[in-house]
Amino acid sequence: MQFTRRNGLKAAGIAGALAAGTRLPYGALAAQSPIGDPEPEGEPVEGGEWVFGISELPDTLDPHKTGAAVSDTILNYAGDALIAQNFDGEYVGGVAREWEVSEDGLTWTFNLRDDITFHDGTPLTAASVKANFDRILDPATNSITAAGLLGPMESTDAPDDYTFSFTLSEPFTPLLDNLTSGVLSIASPDAIESMGDDFGRTPVLSGPWMIDEWRTGDRIILKRNPDYRWAPEYLHQDGPAYIETLVFQSIIEEAARVAAFEVGEIHQTSIPSTDIERLTSDDNSWIVSYDREGVVFLEFNVTAAPFDDVAVRQALNYAVNKQDVLDAAIEGYGQVAYGFLSPSIFGYWDGVEEYAPSFDPDRAKEILAEAGWTASDDGTLEKDGNRLEFTALNLPTDAWNRGAQVVQSQLEDIGVKMEIQQMEFATVLEEAQAGNHQAEFMGYTYSDPDIAFLWFHSSNAGEGLNLSHINDPHLDELIIAGRSAVDLEERAGIYAEIQQYIIDLALWVPLWIDEYYVGFNKSLHNATFNADNRAELFDAWID
Amino acid sequence: MTAYIVKRILLVIPVLFGVSILAFLMSHLVPGDPVVVMLGDRATAEDAARLREELGFNDPLVVQYGRYMTGVVQGDLGTSIRSGQPVLEEIRDRFPSTLILTLCAVVAASVVGVSLGVAAAISKRGWVDGSIMAFALLGISVPTFWSGILLILLLGVKLEWLPIVGTGPAALVMPTIVLAAPAAAVLARMTRSTMLEVLGVDFVRSARAKGLKEQVVILRHVLRNALIPVVTIIGLQFGGLLAGSVIVESVFTRPGLGRYTITAIQSRDFPQIQGIVLVVAALYVFVNLAIDLLYAVIDPRIRYN
Repeated sequence: MQFTRRNGLKAAGIAGALAAGTRLPYGALAAQSPIGDPEPEGEPVEGGEWVFGISELPDTLDPHKTGAAVSDTILNYAGDALIAQNFDGEYVGGVAREWEVSEDGLTWTFNLRDDITFHDGTPLTAASVKANFDRILDPATNSITAAGLLGPMESTDAPDDYTFSFTLSEPFTPLLDNLTSGVLSIASPDAIESMGDDFGRTPVLSGPWMIDEWRTGDRIILKRNPDYRWAPEYLHQDGPAYIETLVFQSIIEEAARVAAFEVGEIHQTSIPSTDIERLTSDDNSWIVSYDREGVVFLEFNVTAAPFDDVAVRQALNYAVNKQDVLDAAIEGYGQVAYGFLSPSIFGYWDGVEEYAPSFDPDRAKEILAEAGWTASDDGTLEKDGNRLEFTALNLPTDAWNRGAQVVQSQLEDIGVKMEIQQMEFATVLEEAQAGNHQAEFMGYTYSDPDIAFLWFHSSNAGEGLNLSHINDPHLDELIIAGRSAVDLEERAGIYAEIQQYIIDLALWVPLWIDEYYVGFNKSLHNATFNADNRAELFDAWID
Repeated sequence: MTAYIVKRILLVIPVLFGVSILAFLMSHLVPGDPVVVMLGDRATAEDAARLREELGFNDPLVVQYGRYMTGVVQGDLGTSIRSGQPVLEEIRDRFPSTLILTLCAVVAASVVGVSLGVAAAISKRGWVDGSIMAFALLGISVPTFWSGILLILLLGVKLEWLPIVGTGPAALVMPTIVLAAPAAAVLARMTRSTMLEVLGVDFVRSARAKGLKEQVVILRHVLRNALIPVVTIIGLQFGGLLAGSVIVESVFTRPGLGRYTITAIQSRDFPQIQGIVLVVAALYVFVNLAIDLLYAVIDPRIRYN
């Protein structure tokens, strides 16, 4: 077994882009991250089957309709998006050879390749791209993920066969990265039309593998596209992919999935923290780790007592020893979180570690004493007859539960009583959206700092994900400025300010950032972990 | 007999109607919003509101139920919120897998459970009886998700005798064992106690006095008379096994209704949940009708009119 440590590859890539200014495509700095042998020997071998172990099959593979993260991964292998991202994190041509963004950031024009055909043999033209984007924007499609990725897109145009353009109502910087997403792969409009509901089961795209069969509840099978000659420039150009078959095998139960990986029934899967040490002695696998793009945190409902008082929220930020929580929850396989962004997300502000409260129970007690809380007979703090007690909702995950219990005991040390109430995800969300809660343990995964819009903008309180129910005009203003800033340096500056401000408001106690582990069977050669934490298999082969 | 069957089948209609109301209310009244679960990290308030309106969740519950039932009587169980596929088709695709597993488990549990029960009854208070009852206690107490994982580690990883994933016959062995074990344990205990009861009855003494072989006494006279309550339990166990398949299918990655149910509940996919409850309830009712009819076969003195 071998570790390949990838720290913030994506962040480094975008930081590099920052240095190069706002010219598109961005230049970048980060290095690629090979899986296993850095320089594989021998000639590529054609054929073979590579089996991914995943927990759940997606809702649908219709790229425009799916809401499942796993769809994006599968569609990345089966489809081509307008833009690709090379191993250095730079944005390069995909379906589009090159592109241009107008000065005001509102009009994007793409010059498309003229040699691409869909899996059904029809050519991919600007009209196909337009049909795809129009379908996503059509409210009748009920697009979940894809429509969100397009942001404020207003209209599309295909002035000639290989020129496509669209117009935004306001600048939307995350769009460039979004356009590399698997769910924005271009699908055959003919197939969408003729296949009806079946399109979601075996969509027709243009990528290196074709979706061959979906066995309900069991697996999805992709076959190599023998005609594929239009790979992005950083991949081999002289022929199709080497691996014949990709299989996405669903195994819900984590222990069964790891067992199937150990005996070689599946070849690639995520490894839970409890198994990492044991699998170290396994000679048949490579293990690659990467940081979660997101944070796990304890969030306060600022409209409910006692958290309507910012002093209480701040005090709790001093009372939690995050390293202890991290060790208990995920056996230390991760890092402590300081702000609402993880270092792997663009805009992460280095100063946050200094700026954020560090573990200091005395300071916590001091803040609470200044706010008028005094110890009662049993040690729990109280003020005007109200005891400093609250209930935190939690999801039924072992790791989170262990973490929550450590937080609970640490708060008890400063005289704050926290009850943990476990509920299923959907119930926690509903309670928290309605504001029927005091606090909850939560987590998110997102690749852009625009996550601030979802979690903190006042328009998302009630029905969206603003579960702290914060309604702060200054914060709203900053968030809107962040999502529309075209200049990356300016954008990073805005998010640095937002990170500081969120700490001042103490909406969360950020707890930890998971380090994810992926196991690969050693039969794989020349694969590379790309900027999206996905194994690029186009150049890879199996022996 | 025919009139009885027709009457019983007609009675199924109000039962299923009641089930549909319960399933509908339960899935809608439990907290949790399918739209928000579906949107996940990308849920802006605006998107959620739009989707909710389009899916008709803003209508009064009565209107939603009426709309649902209009479809159901026409054989349309609605369209899944999550996948956009017709629920009836989704259930039809997954049903065979669950049915095969459940039937295998019923057969395995019946054969093993009844045999062990008979063996235990014959050697009452002996060491055979003791060990069988100990096994039965274990079978009832051990949770299937745990025994399932242990079996995977033993037969799949250590010995590598059986595949961990797959849909072939070999992949059916482990889930059948795990699913059948608790039912077999219940049946073994049940068979033992009814056998012991019958063994003490006069006609058994007469049969032995006639000089019949012990084997004939046990199998023809005692077991047959002891079987009625056991068959009832097998029918009831069938429902339990369908429910048990929810866990077992997850552990063993079988593409059946069980896993479908879990996903449906987690994502609050109302049409899916309601469809599953209806189909499983119908199945349960019909299996128990079949069991009732089976009594007449086992005991010719039973007549239906």
